[in-house]
Amino acid sequence: MVKRERGYTMLEMVIALAVFGVFLMIIVALTAEMRANEKRYPVNFMAHPEVSAVIARLRKDIFDTIYYGGEWQGYSQTHQTLILYTLTQGGAGETVVWDFRTPGEVHRKSYIATQLNAEWVGRGLPNFTVDIDTYTLPTGQDATRIKATDDQNRLAIDEIFVPRPHK
Amino acid sequence: MRKSPGFSLIELLVGLMILGIVITTTIVMFTDRQKHLRQANETILAYQALANESEIWRRIDFAQLEAQGPSFQSDTAILAPLAPYTAMVRVDNVSTSRKDVTLTVRWANAQRVARLGVIRVDTGGSTLW
Repeated sequence: MVKRERGYTMLEMVIALAVFGVFLMIIVALTAEMRANEKRYPVNFMAHPEVSAVIARLRKDIFDTIYYGGEWQGYSQTHQTLILYTLTQGGAGETVVWDFRTPGEVHRKSYIATQLNAEWVGRGLPNFTVDIDTYTLPTGQDATRIKATDDQNRLAIDEIFVPRPHK
Repeated sequence: MRKSPGFSLIELLVGLMILGIVITTTIVMFTDRQKHLRQANETILAYQALANESEIWRRIDFAQLEAQGPSFQSDTAILAPLAPYTAMVRVDNVSTSRKDVTLTVRWANAQRVARLGVIRVDTGGSTLW
């Protein structure tokens, strides 16, 4: 009697590969939409607590802003620097500088009169740009527009903040 | 006759089937999670646009609210990933001194909707909230 050779037959291998191929097709089909969404949607920066902190503090500062400053202690009002003359919770005047110039960082400095009162630094953040000229509301108020894009240049954050009336 | 060593075809198929079920279940769970994350992402984008638009509608003169068009007046570039979408405004006269402004964004063939309501009250002023 001839001893049968060890191993699988061609038919066995074909069936096994066919079954495995079906599973591969299922996996590809399930992940195709996921990959399409990755290309379509911007990074969700809002899920980052530090980003939320920046947005919340900006909203509060701009809400209480009396006017936008032009120059302050070496800072100028640009798309990467926001200078605000705002109010503290106690009602005292305060100059706040938001500095977005360092990639990945946000610096907030507040001044009482000319003295630096507090500095806060956020790290691991997207690159923000600020615009105080784009939005003039029907009521004539200048809104501040904060934007941030992800590394694929997709708009991920676009927030408009408007100072409240102070009369 | 001595049985040759190794797995039979049946054993191999059963093993592959179990592996396949485990893999497929894992992938389904993963994609389901991705779907929820995408929906959360879409909602965040929609509410950014709604919040921006509300800043305009809360400041329009009370008497002029109906005269505005039903379209968004703010830049809706943030909604680009949701395209095709619709962004509409509706003003309802609830009473002589109150109007409800409803901002609505619909996307995914109108299957998904985000709304933000602004209640406007006639305080007698011209440029109040």
